[in-house]
Amino acid sequence: MEETLRNGRTVRKPKKHKKMTWSLIKDQRQLIYMSVPLLAYIVLFAYVPIWGWTMAFQDYKPAKSFSDQKWVGFKHFEFLFKDDSFLQVLRNTLAMSVINLILGFVTAIILALLLNEIRKVFWKRTVQTISYLPHFLSWIIVTGIVATSLASDGIVNDVLLKLHLIKEPIQWLSDGKYFWGIVGASHVWKEVGWNTIIYLAAMASIDPALYEAAEIDGASRYRKMFHVTLPGIKPTIIILLIMSIGHILEAGFEVQYLLGNGLVVDWSQTIDIFVLKYGLAQGNYSLATAAGIFKTVVSVTMLLFANWIAKRLGEERLL
Amino acid sequence: MGGNKKSVLRFSMMLLLSLGLVLSACGGGSNTKDAAKNTTKDANNGQATTEKAGDTVEPFEISVFIGEAGQQPTPDNKIYKMIKDKTGASFKFEFLAGDIDQKLGVMIAGSDYPDMMTANQKLTGAGAFIPLEDLIEEHAPNLKKHYEKYWNMMKDSDGHIYTLPNYGVYNSDPDSTWYSGPAFWIQKDVLAEAGYPQVKTLDEYFDIIAKYKEKHSTIDGTPTIGFEILNYDWRNWGLFNAPQHLIGHPNDGGVVVENGVAQIFADKDYAKRYYQKLNEVNQNGLIDKETFTQNYDQYMAKISSGAVLGMFDQHWNFQSAEDSLTTQQKLERTYVGLPLVYDTSIRDYYKERPALNLDNGFGITVNAKDPEKIIKLLDTLIAEDWQKIFTWGIEGEDYYVNEQGRYMKTQEQRDKFTDGTWKLANKADAFFGRAPKMQGKFSDGNSTDAAAQPEEYQAGLKEYDKNFLAQYGFNSYVDFFSEAPENDIAYPAWSVDLVDGSEAKIVNTKQNELSTKYLPKAILAKSADFDSVWEEYTKEIGKLNIKAYEDRINEVLQWRRDTWTVK
Repeated sequence: MEETLRNGRTVRKPKKHKKMTWSLIKDQRQLIYMSVPLLAYIVLFAYVPIWGWTMAFQDYKPAKSFSDQKWVGFKHFEFLFKDDSFLQVLRNTLAMSVINLILGFVTAIILALLLNEIRKVFWKRTVQTISYLPHFLSWIIVTGIVATSLASDGIVNDVLLKLHLIKEPIQWLSDGKYFWGIVGASHVWKEVGWNTIIYLAAMASIDPALYEAAEIDGASRYRKMFHVTLPGIKPTIIILLIMSIGHILEAGFEVQYLLGNGLVVDWSQTIDIFVLKYGLAQGNYSLATAAGIFKTVVSVTMLLFANWIAKRLGEERLL
Repeated sequence: MGGNKKSVLRFSMMLLLSLGLVLSACGGGSNTKDAAKNTTKDANNGQATTEKAGDTVEPFEISVFIGEAGQQPTPDNKIYKMIKDKTGASFKFEFLAGDIDQKLGVMIAGSDYPDMMTANQKLTGAGAFIPLEDLIEEHAPNLKKHYEKYWNMMKDSDGHIYTLPNYGVYNSDPDSTWYSGPAFWIQKDVLAEAGYPQVKTLDEYFDIIAKYKEKHSTIDGTPTIGFEILNYDWRNWGLFNAPQHLIGHPNDGGVVVENGVAQIFADKDYAKRYYQKLNEVNQNGLIDKETFTQNYDQYMAKISSGAVLGMFDQHWNFQSAEDSLTTQQKLERTYVGLPLVYDTSIRDYYKERPALNLDNGFGITVNAKDPEKIIKLLDTLIAEDWQKIFTWGIEGEDYYVNEQGRYMKTQEQRDKFTDGTWKLANKADAFFGRAPKMQGKFSDGNSTDAAAQPEEYQAGLKEYDKNFLAQYGFNSYVDFFSEAPENDIAYPAWSVDLVDGSEAKIVNTKQNELSTKYLPKAILAKSADFDSVWEEYTKEIGKLNIKAYEDRINEVLQWRRDTWTVK
């Protein structure tokens, strides 16, 4: 960062350290005018809504003015943390999120590496297109497909039966121990192609000379993948990882809600579903807001933490 | 240079101005709302000025929100066109897409209401509806007469009437030929093959299903499913509600009302008896393995295939699947509702006298520009000639009158009435379904419901059903049920508003969650484990503050008994 600053200064003739003076402001007023709309946009859509957080400390009733609301302090946070099932819900959210995160990363990088090795452009394009198409389906359709495939006469059981791996159909959706796996697998199926796009783009920017040099040194295909391609996309991986860690409490909602049922509820309920049941469905918007604040605080903390780790490891950082 | 500077300044001023406009527009919501309130007030006060407007036909549009999914009528719909020609009113419908609570939440947050909306306690609670009693008294003599007997019942706890109930106002004993409520349903062929027995108890019911399933392991190539339970999302009664009926109680939702006192039944011994029976028949493979993981679509698909022998459900909930069986000409696969009880000493109480449906119907919102006009329109449309048009259609086109003065239909007309596409162009169901309506008989003695007209029902019966009913000596499938006793004035308990966010509601949600979790577990458990699962279940329920829930219901039931005097 400092380097670029120094560079910037040298280009712009070495002057004395610029202070914020009226003349400077006047000098650059066009720039300031130009930034006003953007600033207003950010204030309006990113900071003004934070005002809504006050709801979490009230017994918020819609259609009443702010001064008529009843203030209740931390009551809703207490309800959240004192509820027996909240810990379990938190566990499920974290578990499914981590599974999605790791599975998502690993599969996307592997697919990108493999795609990168395909020399025939036609096949590469075909595979890529097929793998990212599910991204455009909504979760309601995907869960429909998943539920149908996992039914006792669905394709999954059919294949397993034909291969003689099982003797009778498995009730995939009625057993909690499968649930996280099913959610992870559905995520991979839906998003893997989409997630590879950014890695493929990163790979495209690797200097071909590096591959040639490696080849002259006698590196095999796998060696090149391992020593050239992977290090080449490492900064991208780290940045994406930091960003995803910020979303660690967003395991999603639709999949779990649509695939969940009474038998797997101990594994399927996430924070969002909990909030829907006890917050929104009961008109208790305050509780929903409290949960939102909790999620935001955790997310920001995790993001800063991941960033700090990256800094300690001397890697690219987000902030 | 100078000119340049000025244009930059002008440009930025314009930007600032437009931003300011955007900002002020955002903040303007409350102003417009106030304005709307003022106009409604004006409309209430200044009736004298608009009194005359009723006579001339001047076109006006009413925007309507319907709180359930539906289809837009065709633009040239016959009935709406007639309404427009005669009264000037046209409707702009918005149907629910997605989740009702979410949609209403957004609407309430922005006070963004159309002129008319279907009733919802959330809306009443948020002050979205205007009080109607004075409007009706002054401008709607027909409506006043229509609701006379129910006037007190319609009042909210604050003494105002906010919504006009759509169903449950009867002017005579209803003719009924179609049972829409809960029952243990069984495929007609199962009864036919067993020699048309009178099935009264749960044990007999599962016995004949087991026998049939043994004989026919597949139906049309699909493996036969003995018993199906749907427990998905809000359609959860298939699992929860049966025990109260088995002990001879009507549908009160989550409680049984005995001697005027409501109590939950989920953890009682008679509930255990039912689930133990299910556990037992599950051991014999009668219950569908996927029953607790399926969603509503999968459930409907299974019923439509004709492979499901029985289930506990409400008729309207699976009606479209049954219609599909009729379309496929698989009449022997359609269902008969049976009012089962634990033993024959118990009188079945499935069929009930319809109570006033307070949770549905229209309310006029605070945003309505001219509530007086709307109430006058509703008043016009409750008149008998309009009601005939809504239910039977146009004389000569949709039905005919025979020599005895009875309304009848030709087979062609009958078929049209079950055709969804035809209905969109020729019926005003989107409006009429939620509007105040006459139920029972018209002044000339014809039934208000075409399907309930006895001779019309008989004429429309298929050969198979005629024969089937003849075996039992019944006139219609409703005759399987005992006559409904007079309702307790406070009935039904399921319509009690638990109040969003209250302890009672939270407890109820938690109890439902426990049932959704433990009942499937108990039913699917090995017989030896059943008792331990049940014990855990009742123990978990015991931890909840069930009393808060019961108290709330009893309080409202008491309030109803005190205030709902029917003349």
